[in-house]
Amino acid sequence: MSDAAMEISGVKRNDRFTRGSRLVDALSKAGLAFAILAVALYGSVVSPAFFTSGNLLNVLTSMSIVGIVVVGMTFVLVVGGLADLSVPATIACGAILSLGLQPMIGPLPAFVLAVGLAGLIGLLNGVLVGYVGINPIIATLGIGTIGLGIVQAAVGGVIVYGSNPASAEFAKGRLFGIPVVVLIFLVIALIGHFVLSRSFWGRWTLATGGNYSAAEASAVPVQAVKAGAFVITALTAGISGGLLGLTLQSARPLIGAGYEFSAITAVVVGGVSIIGGFGSVPRAIAGLIFVQLLTNVMVLDGVRTPIQGFVLGILIVGAVGMDAALRKRGVA
Amino acid sequence: MNAAADCALDMRGISKIFPGVKALSNVNFAVKFGTVHAVVGENGAGKSTLMKVLNGSYAPTSGTIKVGGAEVRMRRPADAQALGIRMVHQEINLVPDLSVAENVYLGRMPGKWSFLRKGEMVRKAAAVLDELGAGINPRERLGDLSISQQQLVEIAKAYAAQPRIIVLDEPTSSLSEHETAALFRILRKMRDDGIAIIYISHRLKEVLEIADEVTVLRDGSMIETRPIAGITAAQMIRLMVGREVSNVFPKSPAEIGKSVLRVERISDGTRFHNVSFDVRAGEILGLTGLVGAGRTEVARAIFGLSRLVEGTVSVNGRKVSINSPSEAVKAGIAYVPEDRKGDGIVPGMSIRENISLPILRRLSRFGRIRRSADRALAADYVKQFSISPPDGERRINLLSGGNQQKAVIAKWLAARPSALILDEPTRGVDVGAKAEIHNIIGQLVAGGMAVVMISSELPEILGVCDRVVVMRDGQASEPLMRGELSEERIMALATGEEAA
Repeated sequence: MSDAAMEISGVKRNDRFTRGSRLVDALSKAGLAFAILAVALYGSVVSPAFFTSGNLLNVLTSMSIVGIVVVGMTFVLVVGGLADLSVPATIACGAILSLGLQPMIGPLPAFVLAVGLAGLIGLLNGVLVGYVGINPIIATLGIGTIGLGIVQAAVGGVIVYGSNPASAEFAKGRLFGIPVVVLIFLVIALIGHFVLSRSFWGRWTLATGGNYSAAEASAVPVQAVKAGAFVITALTAGISGGLLGLTLQSARPLIGAGYEFSAITAVVVGGVSIIGGFGSVPRAIAGLIFVQLLTNVMVLDGVRTPIQGFVLGILIVGAVGMDAALRKRGVA
Repeated sequence: MNAAADCALDMRGISKIFPGVKALSNVNFAVKFGTVHAVVGENGAGKSTLMKVLNGSYAPTSGTIKVGGAEVRMRRPADAQALGIRMVHQEINLVPDLSVAENVYLGRMPGKWSFLRKGEMVRKAAAVLDELGAGINPRERLGDLSISQQQLVEIAKAYAAQPRIIVLDEPTSSLSEHETAALFRILRKMRDDGIAIIYISHRLKEVLEIADEVTVLRDGSMIETRPIAGITAAQMIRLMVGREVSNVFPKSPAEIGKSVLRVERISDGTRFHNVSFDVRAGEILGLTGLVGAGRTEVARAIFGLSRLVEGTVSVNGRKVSINSPSEAVKAGIAYVPEDRKGDGIVPGMSIRENISLPILRRLSRFGRIRRSADRALAADYVKQFSISPPDGERRINLLSGGNQQKAVIAKWLAARPSALILDEPTRGVDVGAKAEIHNIIGQLVAGGMAVVMISSELPEILGVCDRVVVMRDGQASEPLMRGELSEERIMALATGEEAA
């Protein structure tokens, strides 16, 4: 299609083309909104428990923990970094350290240090992917495994418990009736959205994912931008892990298992391109809301776990297929 | 037309309507066996659409197609291939990690029960390459070949399928003059074998040299088909643009000032050695030579995209050390790369986002891009360079090649460099856009910028440049002054066949 657009000069033709792509673009955005609405409707029909404030708050809270990671993961996908598989390790690092260090240095410094060390894991990922040029899947898998190993060795493989009830109260508490975790998620999502869509770093991220060599030739510090996406993800995962630890008041090394796939699923279902160059934080969050609501409805509806996995798998394949199709039409 | 048997292809009354636009209107196009038939026209004239109809990629809205005298209906490229129609695209569509032989027989590998007969394939490929006089080892990995050799493999692949009609789309855009001559020998041989060759090119000199007939398209209509003997380049241009273009290479005189960019004895250790030249304010220095002579490598190294192992670069008399493009930009050097699609544009982004990319930080406050500044910058250049359509929010990949190139140049001007290196700035753009780009370059030097222009097109080099440095095998010649420039002199330096 894009070839054809170039072939015929004249504004008229191009207008039609852009209008067409805007239509598809709007559809792809509205499509997700419709899907969310449909799931919510279905949920309220099949289960009386769905539309209760208790259930929705639960969904919102658990969504927020993954959601914080989704914000970071969006950067990794947009920059063309495929995926960060070290998320379980960075979450564990955040959770275990923010609880384990409490007796030594107090809750807030423990949290900050935990997030900082998670960021260090991200920096290692970033250096390997951005500067050394190792495939992100391999690099993050390797660094994640090593990181998890170190964390496990440090706590001796046992569960770490919280020792500061006040911090637990805070993490589980509410502000203006909204859970604190949800508020933190919203703040991080807003910051992430601002950075990706309004700041020069975000524009660099999109350019690097869109065409690495052209971005490089345009004086964009592509290596740093690529590395940065992994640092951002590790920081968000560290925060997410810290909050998870504080909420649960216990942390074991495998606490973050599965979060990487939940985050990737949300981002991809939200229509962020798996090959980079296209996507936004709101899109990824829309994907997250959809997946979380769907899962919740399936649980309430008594759908068995294997079937749930089956449905989510189909969703991912469908979303990636859609991305490929849109790309072919020159839209995405 | 002649007897139906001579007629390889007869397309009659072809129209192609996309929703809302007529891309082709009532085009008649006929090609005889054993001839080279050139198709010329500006970008957007309908050449590619016509070829996509011929190739089975598009179904025509109306009209008939006869191949070898029989009416055919093609629904997909495979149908066209079954009829003996082969396309050689401008971009190379081969698999770099496979051998030359595997690429030549890709999709049609000889063998039974899915076991390849590799020996046979290599022998056959060697025979085809020999026949074409390509001088390429079929066992070599394709990715290890130069771009021009890869182009030959692409042609060998089409030839090996024993086609009746071959379509070549801008086959010489990545070839030097020398390699073009080799390609023409091959084309003449294929023509003498009775193959009908459709040759699409912007390079009219080549069309005059190789074609037997030429068809001019303009705005989706067939303007004229003529034997090549009865037409000149100027006439072709007039038919293409519908007006007389008086001077293809306008050279605006500019005041030449002091040296701006000076490189002294630079080497990268492999691709070029001991290269020295300088460019002065208001001057256009041509850098030419055969493809692979090291011109692009020199430019990329100066711009910090690759490393120098020896030599110095100075800007405005100050030595600079450049290890990355952003350092080059700071030093006042900008580079418009050769491969527009690969290195020039970020396809998913708008014209505006592409133009502001190198200077985003300057447009930002506290990390946030100032929208008004971003918009104003793009609007300025869109207007100044008459980028069409005049809408900075348009996705850049939807523009024609010439307009994309103007946007890429604008991107660099925004960075206010004192020296600009342009690598094949007019490759693959149509005549009108080419003149516009030359005009822009003229304005830049008039404003005191120093410009290095890399080009394989000798008429362009001769028409535009004040001085010319010729590269051969990674070495640079002494600069030739405008007065001592001639195609013969440059070719002699480029090929090392120093004429007496």
